Amino acid sequence: MKRIVIDAKKCDGCKNCTVACMQAHRADEGTVYDLDLTDVANESRNRILVDSDGTYKPIFCRHCEQPECAMSCMSGALQKDPLSGLVLYQEEKCGSCFMCVMNCPYGVLKPDTKTRSKVIKCDFCQDAGGEPSCVKACPREAIYVEEGLG
Amino acid sequence: MKHVIIGASAAGITAAKTIREIDAKAEIVMISTDAWVHSRCMLHKYLSYERDEMGLSFISEDFFDQYNIQWKKETKVTRIDAVGQKVELGDESNVAYDRLLIATGAASVIPPVGEFRTAGNVFGLRNLSDAQQIRSMAEKAQRILIVGSGLVGMDAAYAFLENGKEVTVAEMADRILPLQLDEKAGKAYQRLFEQAGCRFMLGKKATGTVSDASGNISKVILDDNTEIECDLVIVAAGVRPEVSCTEGSGIKADRFIEVDETMQTNYPYVYAAGDVTGISGIWPNAMKQGQVAAQNMCDIPTVYDDRYAMKNTMNFYGLLTLSLGRGVIEENDKVLISEDSKNYRRAILRNGKLDSILLQGTIDYSGIYQYLIKNEIDLEGKQEGIFNLSFKDFYGVKENGEYQFQIENAAFA
Repeated sequence: MKRIVIDAKKCDGCKNCTVACMQAHRADEGTVYDLDLTDVANESRNRILVDSDGTYKPIFCRHCEQPECAMSCMSGALQKDPLSGLVLYQEEKCGSCFMCVMNCPYGVLKPDTKTRSKVIKCDFCQDAGGEPSCVKACPREAIYVEEGLG
Repeated sequence: MKHVIIGASAAGITAAKTIREIDAKAEIVMISTDAWVHSRCMLHKYLSYERDEMGLSFISEDFFDQYNIQWKKETKVTRIDAVGQKVELGDESNVAYDRLLIATGAASVIPPVGEFRTAGNVFGLRNLSDAQQIRSMAEKAQRILIVGSGLVGMDAAYAFLENGKEVTVAEMADRILPLQLDEKAGKAYQRLFEQAGCRFMLGKKATGTVSDASGNISKVILDDNTEIECDLVIVAAGVRPEVSCTEGSGIKADRFIEVDETMQTNYPYVYAAGDVTGISGIWPNAMKQGQVAAQNMCDIPTVYDDRYAMKNTMNFYGLLTLSLGRGVIEENDKVLISEDSKNYRRAILRNGKLDSILLQGTIDYSGIYQYLIKNEIDLEGKQEGIFNLSFKDFYGVKENGEYQFQIENAAFA
């Protein structure tokens, strides 16, 4: 099982991970230099939130062992892949009910802002090389992939 | 070990999958009256021609092969022999079991109003077989009456409006979606449906019917004597657990099958999960009950403890709503409301804890609220900012990298 491990203490809130996520999931082609940060079609799967004490709290999908999102999915669009351990989303199966948004205890999920018909969910960059772009972009090693986690 | 599962919906399928994940060698037989495995939450997408039978499936195409499960479809279990550990099928053949799971779900309730129970053009909307009959009859029906404005009723109304039908919704309460929404949130949907051509008869009850020569209802009469002409009637007035297969078996079932916290019935080796247990009527809980039952069927002692069921989301015409809790305001409750051009939000706080929350408009990242409600988290000092709470306010990370709620130095799973 792979997971993006978070060391929140190291995060300095640069949001390179957020930009990298947007770049990896943009609909059009291009480099990060022409990525439109204001286009809601490019929204990020991760968030860096500032806490009241000024520290940063990275919110990333955990691909949980017992994924509450998949356990609420009535269309079968969200499934935990037994081999990789990733909780993957098949957009074309999705019934847009958003019970997954309701059921993720950590508030990681949201409906897409543009069409409100699909869920914005980490896919471990399956279509962008299979290595999470956020991890590659983190200059502080506050996020890193670890194998063999339960 | 031979497992037999009656029913192939959320609880049954989840149980079968769980058993296979635990025990590669177990024999698994599923028996369902359904001809297709389908998501009951998407039947309206079939009515609107948005999806076909295959498109309603919530499992992969090769599910039964992949998990090595024998599936007897379109097959009814007529009797359970809980002592001899076998089930009898409609053709009088028997299937023996070591462990049995009853996950037969629920059936539509058709109230005894006029000819509702006997007419040829009155349907509940629960199974794909209902939707198939409705869709075929709707080809020649223009005026459609929907009795009940819960989620099933409104889903059906939406589908028929998409097809250009004349839709009337009759509802006993004075507002639509009365269990899920307050008046203001209900009105927002009512407006959207009305813009699409829907007519509402609120605060009115169907009391009688007029049938034509062919035994179809042509008019439904409401308690204020309004007559509604219709070609097709959908009754969305609730469901009852489908317990008929337990008759004469000694399995304790009155209105629903009684189970203990391991999902076991009063008989050893006989379990029940999903709507048939009467614990809750929603998909996520049915899946979890199926999982817990399966673990116990495989002799892994597990307790079903995620009982919170007053939760819903809805999505009509791009307007999203999350509704958690009963939404009933009691004395000394603190009610917080926040509104802007795109959002209506209402939280009910009781004794410093969140009791109910309604978010209409944006529901982004709202998953934390269910956790706060069902774990009765004390929100002292956080109440005024209730709509701005996020997981950062409870941020904790477990050793394996998963999150956990950190609440005043106490870590929760």
